[in-house]
Amino acid sequence: MNRFVERHRSILDFALSSLLRRKGKNISLWVVYTLIVFLIAAIVFYTHALKREAAMILQGAPDIVVQKMVAGRQDLVPVGYVGKIAAIRGVGAVRPRLWGYYYDAVTGANYTLMAPDGSLPGPGTADIGSGVARTLRVVEGDFLPIRAVDGVPTLFQVRKVLPYASELATSDLILLSEDDLRALFAFPRGFATDLAVTVENPAERATVAAKIAAQFPESRPILNSEILRTYDSIFDWRGGMMVVMLGVAVFSFVIFAWDKATGLSAEERREIGILKSVGWETGDVLLLKFWEGAAISLAAFLCGVILAYVQVFFFSASLFEPALKGWAVLYPRFKLVPDVDPYQLAVLFFLTVVPYTVATIIPSWRAATVDPDAAMRS
Amino acid sequence: MIALHDVTKSFHPGKENQFTAVRNVGLTIAPGRLTVLKGPSGSGKTTLLTLIGCMARPTSGRIVLSGGGIAGFPGGEEIRELEITSLPERFLAGIRRATFGFIFQHFNLLRGISVLENVMLPAYPTGERHGEIRRRAAELLTVFDVARHAHARVDRLSGGEAQRVAIARALINRPSVIVADEPTAHLDTDLSRGFMEIVGSFKSDGKTVLIASHDPIVCDSSRVDTVVEMRDGRILRSGSTP
Repeated sequence: MNRFVERHRSILDFALSSLLRRKGKNISLWVVYTLIVFLIAAIVFYTHALKREAAMILQGAPDIVVQKMVAGRQDLVPVGYVGKIAAIRGVGAVRPRLWGYYYDAVTGANYTLMAPDGSLPGPGTADIGSGVARTLRVVEGDFLPIRAVDGVPTLFQVRKVLPYASELATSDLILLSEDDLRALFAFPRGFATDLAVTVENPAERATVAAKIAAQFPESRPILNSEILRTYDSIFDWRGGMMVVMLGVAVFSFVIFAWDKATGLSAEERREIGILKSVGWETGDVLLLKFWEGAAISLAAFLCGVILAYVQVFFFSASLFEPALKGWAVLYPRFKLVPDVDPYQLAVLFFLTVVPYTVATIIPSWRAATVDPDAAMRS
Repeated sequence: MIALHDVTKSFHPGKENQFTAVRNVGLTIAPGRLTVLKGPSGSGKTTLLTLIGCMARPTSGRIVLSGGGIAGFPGGEEIRELEITSLPERFLAGIRRATFGFIFQHFNLLRGISVLENVMLPAYPTGERHGEIRRRAAELLTVFDVARHAHARVDRLSGGEAQRVAIARALINRPSVIVADEPTAHLDTDLSRGFMEIVGSFKSDGKTVLIASHDPIVCDSSRVDTVVEMRDGRILRSGSTP
């Protein structure tokens, strides 16, 4: 056991001084490697953290949202549906929601206007998201002009700017009283934008949705899980921009590892020959190359992951935030909560450290399996 | 004792560029003696050394090690007689490491690392304590008067110093056979004589020394016990020096 440890220790010791011999080459290898790991890790951290934010928001979302469709176009839902849906077995509560999108031609931004339950702004007042406040440059007490359906601007006094913590969900939000919203959009009484349905037992959601669809053929029930899936496909690895970035990073890594796998300089071959001639076995040479590869790849992995963590969670992914967030006039401004999925980290480790280390060993194995005199002559 | 029976070594056998470097060589090298393989370039001296030193396998024939001093066999068992020709590479490496110490024509030191590390290299795979290897290497550097360069890179050494480092490296695993290939080829007369003095001390320590050379300083040295003359891969004559 002791000899085993000492053998590893001696060979690791030599591997490190061996790496220092080719400082320029190995530092540039390490930099490229770190950059690739950084890019991949940053994408993984960013998408995971965004998905987590989205999931947290969805926790407060209704189990089923019921819309009414008219020839494929979304239309207002009669509030009369509420009682009938509430009567379906398994349904906890049904709440009509009143909201709509509003395009502001001055700033070129889209806002979400909503009449919330509970603490309503009074008539003529509005609560606004911080994205709206930034875009329109208004603060509490200022007046906010919104054009009504007849084109006449109506002024609303800003009662409060919604808190920073909820920015991802509320950035583009303008909360108004029900009467003001109906007047702005000319929503008739007895109609709502959609219905929020609560189902007590999560296993029954799909059944309840099917019953609603059967009872109201013109309705479109949307399950919470379907919204989550949409978020997933936007933020997940399959999301366009991320696939491209991840693809580029992985492709660079493959080229990098391939270059390493096929390249063994004449000097390195000669050294392997010398080591074999002084009594090193093929296994010893491979152990040396393993430690060399592991030292570089582990150092690059740790640095890349730490840099990505700092970049994403301390600097809000400022390097590629615009590309990943997509286009918008008003971006939510928020700090991601540090959260790393150990499984993704393990996958990243096995996708980067292991292939590189193997790529380092293969050419050395080829050189080390020939007779030492042949290796020295070559 | 090292005994060669009808040993032949061909490179690229069966191909157009087949070349036979050693032909039907039969030779016995006595233990504790200094034997010189003498001959011009291309006579097969170096190839014969690599075959004896377990660095390559003969195409045909047998090489047998016998008597004391055979080390490096797995399990550390005491071997009195061993035919090395058919041993797998793993065993050959062990014997190469523990039984033989090599001094190469171009010294074959690893550039970019320190003198001390170069000397320690052959002992790394043995699993011996790192501190112990370091202590022994430092001791050898002192013996060969290069201790002041222990932490310098080998690239900065003169030819004579590099050779003494190569000798120290050859001795780190306490081998019973020292094999040297054209050791004086890059040395001036004084340094060559100095080398022969060192070789003389190996003999006094009971080591078997085998040198391939065509340098008269080596071949005509009074320390040499046997000279084996080679040409075109064959032994012309072999005899003890007066």
